[in-house]
Amino acid sequence: MTTPHPATPTPAGAPLLEVRHLVTRFPVRGGILNRVVGHVHAVSGVSFSVPRGEVLGVVGESGCGKSTLGKTILRLVEPTSGQVLFDGQDLTTLGHGAMMPIRRRMQMIFQDPYSSLNPRLTIRRMLREVVRFHDIVPAEQTDDYIIDLITRVGLRKDAADKFPHEFSGGQRQRIGIARALAVKPELLIADEPVSALDVSIQAQVLNLLMDLQKDLHLTVLFISHDLKVVEHFCDRVLVMYLGKVVEELPCDNLLDRARHPYTRALLAANPIDDPDERRPISVLKGDVPSPLRPPPGCPFIGRCPVAVDRCRNEMPPLVAAPTVNTLTARPATQSVACWVETPDARPNA
Amino acid sequence: MALLGRTRNTLFSSRAARKFRRNRMAVASLAVILLYALLGGWLLIADAYATLTDRRGFDRAESVIGSLFTALTLDKVDARVGPLRVRGWLETPLAEDRARFVEYYLGKFERALRLKDSQDRAAAVRDLRFAERRVDMTPEELLPRVRAIRDQYESLNAVDDLDAPDARGARERLAGIESDIDSLFAPLSGVEKGLYDLRMSLGTDRQGRSIAARAIYSIKVALQVGFVVGFVSVLIGALLGAASGYFGGFLDQFIQWLFSTLSSVPDLVLLAVLAYAFTGSIFDDPSRPALSLVPVYIAMCMTFWIGPCRVIRGETLKLKELEYVQAAKAIGFSRFTILLRHVLPNTLHLMFINFSLLFIAAIKFEVVLSFLGLGVKAGPSWGRMIGEATQEVINGNFWQIGAATLLMFVLVLAFNILSDALQDAFDPKHV
Repeated sequence: MTTPHPATPTPAGAPLLEVRHLVTRFPVRGGILNRVVGHVHAVSGVSFSVPRGEVLGVVGESGCGKSTLGKTILRLVEPTSGQVLFDGQDLTTLGHGAMMPIRRRMQMIFQDPYSSLNPRLTIRRMLREVVRFHDIVPAEQTDDYIIDLITRVGLRKDAADKFPHEFSGGQRQRIGIARALAVKPELLIADEPVSALDVSIQAQVLNLLMDLQKDLHLTVLFISHDLKVVEHFCDRVLVMYLGKVVEELPCDNLLDRARHPYTRALLAANPIDDPDERRPISVLKGDVPSPLRPPPGCPFIGRCPVAVDRCRNEMPPLVAAPTVNTLTARPATQSVACWVETPDARPNA
Repeated sequence: MALLGRTRNTLFSSRAARKFRRNRMAVASLAVILLYALLGGWLLIADAYATLTDRRGFDRAESVIGSLFTALTLDKVDARVGPLRVRGWLETPLAEDRARFVEYYLGKFERALRLKDSQDRAAAVRDLRFAERRVDMTPEELLPRVRAIRDQYESLNAVDDLDAPDARGARERLAGIESDIDSLFAPLSGVEKGLYDLRMSLGTDRQGRSIAARAIYSIKVALQVGFVVGFVSVLIGALLGAASGYFGGFLDQFIQWLFSTLSSVPDLVLLAVLAYAFTGSIFDDPSRPALSLVPVYIAMCMTFWIGPCRVIRGETLKLKELEYVQAAKAIGFSRFTILLRHVLPNTLHLMFINFSLLFIAAIKFEVVLSFLGLGVKAGPSWGRMIGEATQEVINGNFWQIGAATLLMFVLVLAFNILSDALQDAFDPKHV
């Protein structure tokens, strides 16, 4: 099989994607005059960076803003403020035309394989549109390239002339991956790519993604609500809660490493895979606060088992500490936003 | 799977089609609709052909096909074919009326024969036509026969009331006179006889025009209105609805304002205003029946696009959040490309449903408008026929109203059964 993707040189230290204080709010309209009566704070002040070739996981429960984060990076949703630097270029100020060459370099895999494919287009027509639009390969090679893509994601050649409804969920997700890879992107944002699939199919699709990531040297932002999956696939993980990053940690032995009570609660919610092992079950009580009126202090305050008074009024800052990734034995950083863990930190302005 | 090969869902082998075919009513209704469509298409082509070649006049059909083809052109259904208010099938004419019909034919003959100039007289006799029927005699042959019939007819005048029980003898003589008149006409060929019988089968209206021919010709008018209004309304509605839902913002507000405003005006008031606005224009010219339909189209399209617009706007709001639209955005396609390639094609089923609804609605509305005198101004239409027939029913001539209503009823019923059956056939929950 030919490798359609050029090997990208990895300049050490230069992140491919850097997000700075990204805020995305959605206006809520109401009343007879249809005025803006409030905002849904989907992403509030998220900062992180992803070096080339790294797989960064983003976890959090439903509604924590992780999908909005992914869509905002791609400008599928317009950011309210903040910066998205892709290869050093700020995307938030680019117009439609200027975005075009960037769009070719970053793609997305969507969550729901049943709504992510246009039911009226055969796979070949859909891929041809994409390939021709960005002129990825010369016109006469388009068909070969499409067949190459289809076989690369593990489908048979004759899948090209079928319609989406003729495929199963797992096959559809493979087609979604083929579409994202068709433009030879450098950055892939995978928005819960396996959460709509059966567990057995999840593993297949995940392995495909891992293989492709290694073969094509992709940088991946892997959005998920399943820490087990993230631990399996990612180098680093970002834990989000109500639009904020509460912890950022290397993906090795998460159970011992987690410091934020929310991360620990997430880990405790994973099923235990050893029938003899006993572990105290701590189920989080209460609900996520409304993103319409986020609390002034720590967003986790209402459900936190270790909260102190200070958590109520002051948002804890994300404090980084050096550590070592036990898997790669390389230095890494772990950041946590919790007053209990870092009582001496200075609060954000 | 490999053994079976690829199974493709074609239109005729799909489960929906099989379910549809099992429904006998549905198949029957489809056949009825096809029959109407064929008739309508035939009338449309025949009219266009007649206009193009200017084949006017009843005797120009050289061949069987030609006479069939030009049997129901607009000028023929608008022309007088015989006496006024001839009774049709299932209606028994009074002897008084029959005497009136005889008087009509005799009068026509005598007027032609009364001309001084022998050439004029010959021409007038040649031109004596009652639809397919014509006289194939010279004036010299015709004159004594007409005189003989006139003498017999005058003897009937002695009878006060032809319908009285004791006037049976007079009525028998009247029947004899009628067959004498029939014998004056040249015998008709098979096809022409069939056409003439069809023309007279439901009698004539108060202007002596064939009711059957007018009712059948109105099928064309109805289908034309249904198709044009349905198609244009769905097209406008789909484009505006999709644009409104997809682009949102000011455009959405404007389009919503537009259809809310238009739908708050009662349709009939809007139509009356439009009819008034078009008075005196070329669209109001009875000699241009094709153009006279344009105000009807405009009036109906002005309000009918609102339905599909609303539905397709809603569907677009749903579709634009779907991930394949997001994916197309991520690829970098322009908003117009996404709208045309990914959103509009996926509202096609709604366009079809709305078309079938508007098609019937337009036909019914055209009838109402024409009945009120706001719709079709030239040429026949079911609405005009019903409007003209209101006085006739009291006199016992029910075919004018009956034929128009029956043909419309069958078409609307067939369409309703068909759309019900289609809905059942495509509904996966319905076995």
